[in-house]
Amino acid sequence: MRERKSGKSNLQQQSQESDHNSHSSPFKLAKLLDPDATWDKDQLCDVLHWIRQALALVFGLVWGAIPLVGGIWFLLYFVLSTTIIYTYYAIVLKIDEEDFGGHTALLQEGLFASVCLFLVCNLHISSFLKQVTSNLPT
Amino acid sequence: MASTLFSTARYSDSLTVVGISVCTALVCEAISWLLIYRTSSYKSLKSSIDKASKKLETMKTSDATAVSSNLIKKSSRTKKIDRVETSLKESSRDLSLFKFKSGAVVALVLFMVFGLLNSLFEGKAVAKIPFVPIRVVQKMSHRGLLGDDMTDCSMAFLYLLCSISIRTNLQKFLGFSPPRGAAGAGLFPMPDPKSS
Repeated sequence: MRERKSGKSNLQQQSQESDHNSHSSPFKLAKLLDPDATWDKDQLCDVLHWIRQALALVFGLVWGAIPLVGGIWFLLYFVLSTTIIYTYYAIVLKIDEEDFGGHTALLQEGLFASVCLFLVCNLHISSFLKQVTSNLPT
Repeated sequence: MASTLFSTARYSDSLTVVGISVCTALVCEAISWLLIYRTSSYKSLKSSIDKASKKLETMKTSDATAVSSNLIKKSSRTKKIDRVETSLKESSRDLSLFKFKSGAVVALVLFMVFGLLNSLFEGKAVAKIPFVPIRVVQKMSHRGLLGDDMTDCSMAFLYLLCSISIRTNLQKFLGFSPPRGAAGAGLFPMPDPKSS
């Protein structure tokens, strides 16, 4: 049976500390891979947001560079990025999603901006490569 | 030769659109900071929304785990939750109204920038979409373009994509995102419209 970390006791502790500062604990990079770390909802959502943006940047550049043409690849990006986010918070961090607003709240964090960023990167790389290849002597 | 020139022009056009989007986002956030974010009213409203939403979360969590089935205790807890929710909604509404008044300046800047881009790129495809978008999206992506090639990308669509991605991340990076407890942060949270 998979162990899930509950945020309930953390939530109550954090609400007491919230009068003093906006974040209950200072953020450290080591926390990103620590399944025993305690998470504030805002911190966790911020981390998931930036992970989504990084994935959009990487996939957008790679998809555009190959290039992968067609709506199916756009859907594949969507499925992959969602799976990575889910794997990160459910398996790596062992977060109990009920204490952070459920799967919907966590999975939709940064989603729209990341889709737009993916499309922008993809458009630019594929346009750039088209220019390069059309300039090559035949 | 013609296709080479065409693709060269298209790539520099798309870079121009992205560059203008970045500059516009920076200018809009600077104006928003001057008119909205640095004011004490905004800071106090944001603080009260954050506190109310955290308090509401705690109350709902403890309500869900409460063992007691005493009806009187339950109804008083429910009343407290309703009071906090009402206070949260009022603070969110006040925040929206406050931002709306100051957002008119930013809206004017955006209007002027869009007009400038429209005059520069009207009727020109600035990029190529790697797939054929769905019909609803085509109305925006193929706006003002001639021909039947639905993978041609209009300036308006690229500008929209750039604006959303750049401005959302810029607001997040600078800490100007709307508080999560505020109403309107649904499935597709857009960049804060009142500041843009």
